[in-house]
Amino acid sequence: MPNESTVLKEEAAATENLGDPAWIRIRDLIYQVSGIYQAENKFYLLVGRANRRMKVVGARTPREYLDFLTARPNRESEMRNLLNEITIGETCLFRSLPQIDALRRVVIPSIAEAKKKMAFTKLRLWSAGCSTGEESYTLAMILLEEMQSSLKGWTFEIVATDLNDRSVAKAQEGVYNDYAVRNVPAEFMKKYFTKVGSDYRVADSVRTHITFSRLNMLDDSKMLFMRGLDVIFCCNVLIYFDGKSKTRTIQHFFNALMPNGYFFLGHSESLHGISEKFRLVHFPGATAYWKPIETISKAVTP
Amino acid sequence: MKTETLDRLRSRIVKIDAMPAIPVILRPLLHCLDQPAEQVNMNRIVELVSYDKSIAAQCMRMANSALFMRNTPAETVRSAVMSLGMWRVRDLLFSSSLSQVIPANRWVVEPAVFWRHSLGVALVSRKFAEMIDYPDPEKAYLAGLLHDIGVLVNCMVAPEEFRATIEKASRELIPLDEAEQVTLGFTHSDSGRILAEAWKIPSDIADAIELHHQIGDPERGGPLVALVHLSDLLCRMRDLGYGYYEPRQVDFANEPGWLYLLMKFPGMAEIDLARFTFSLDEYAREVSDLVATVFAS
Repeated sequence: MPNESTVLKEEAAATENLGDPAWIRIRDLIYQVSGIYQAENKFYLLVGRANRRMKVVGARTPREYLDFLTARPNRESEMRNLLNEITIGETCLFRSLPQIDALRRVVIPSIAEAKKKMAFTKLRLWSAGCSTGEESYTLAMILLEEMQSSLKGWTFEIVATDLNDRSVAKAQEGVYNDYAVRNVPAEFMKKYFTKVGSDYRVADSVRTHITFSRLNMLDDSKMLFMRGLDVIFCCNVLIYFDGKSKTRTIQHFFNALMPNGYFFLGHSESLHGISEKFRLVHFPGATAYWKPIETISKAVTP
Repeated sequence: MKTETLDRLRSRIVKIDAMPAIPVILRPLLHCLDQPAEQVNMNRIVELVSYDKSIAAQCMRMANSALFMRNTPAETVRSAVMSLGMWRVRDLLFSSSLSQVIPANRWVVEPAVFWRHSLGVALVSRKFAEMIDYPDPEKAYLAGLLHDIGVLVNCMVAPEEFRATIEKASRELIPLDEAEQVTLGFTHSDSGRILAEAWKIPSDIADAIELHHQIGDPERGGPLVALVHLSDLLCRMRDLGYGYYEPRQVDFANEPGWLYLLMKFPGMAEIDLARFTFSLDEYAREVSDLVATVFAS
């Protein structure tokens, strides 16, 4: 897990060749393969992390490294290594505040209003590719707060799945270090965590709302059972899938969602060209994909 | 807005003699830039910059800032202008001459927030225009920069009511024009239109100023209005907005302005909107640097 000083060192190293136009091409390639976009104002992050891979493979310049990603025999696995570097350490609780705000201030009110009309008072969320549980617990805490204010009398459940057994086990433990909880607002820390040695343990009142289990998203037979969800979060997971598997998984997500349901990807991850059924919607500082209420998609003829 | 109400507003503005005066350099600047980029006269730009001491100082400061990493400091206005580049100088000229339009103590909105949004919409409008092959991206830039100019009029004409409007909008988290309609009975689009006419701003830009919140009938304003309307929304959805959280969801591909532009510029179907949105974060830095330069003094 990178700490502040390694991040600073990366930044310093990164500024050396930050202006190299090959970075733009590497950025575009990453986007094309994974849907993850690295804005130029955050290039130092990309460059810092790519520099680590460059050292490993022995590439001296970004241009040379581009070769490793496009022309060398192991290019696909190198791209995977690079994506790993880029997304590493991204998990922490309360990672993307704009997404949390969108969920709390726009998405949940909209879903709740529609559900209330049909006399439903339960929300179901899915944290797909939950890794070690940071996102799942964040969602649970946000919803618990809503249940105590705007959604009194409502209940909710969070389904959290990951391919990796060890991640699931770690998620179930629900114990995090300083670095993982650095973004958690103080009142949430007080309310939902207890200190265990130098770490923090999530309260049982939060845990009871989450079911962790192992799930392979490429297993169609398992994916078919996922139904009736209001919101799905699947951050920085699909980036490792090839085009076909991605399309198939997105189709499963679409089917799993209720009409008027929302699908969130990583904060700079896009579905462009993968699904025509979802509609891209914008919130302040965040985007998501929305499953329209009418399932017949509007025909747009040029 | 009905013509009748516009007329009433106009006479009200004229009566209290509160119309902001056009900055001295603005008209020659508009004239100078109203031609193809390759024909814009650099000497004339240097001349305009030199005309205003505070703007000249801003150019020097920006050219010598860390951002441009010059080996030797720029000592003349000319060398500062050269190292900044024509478009950046143009941005500086506009924003700093416009920010002198009203006295510092008359601002009801936070000037830095106002310019951040205006410059953001200008940059996004231009980028958007380029992506869809709109023939005049620089015009889109200007329309974006000036689209909220009515806010300046409101600061002058009805400072107390406008202050209440801003408070209402940020308290109730509603769009500014909605709050204006309730508290003022007119919006910054209406007052902006009147100012645009008084300043003899080209009519299509005046239309963008007037109609950027009312896109009901996109045919009326044409592509420029739709462009500015969408860019304004995009900025508000990407941290270049009014400075408060607008709890709303925007489905751009089903916005009337989007559908209208799609009809006029079929190439737009190819736009990867998610990617475009992510790339807007790159402007935030540029905009902040510019705003910081203008307001450093």
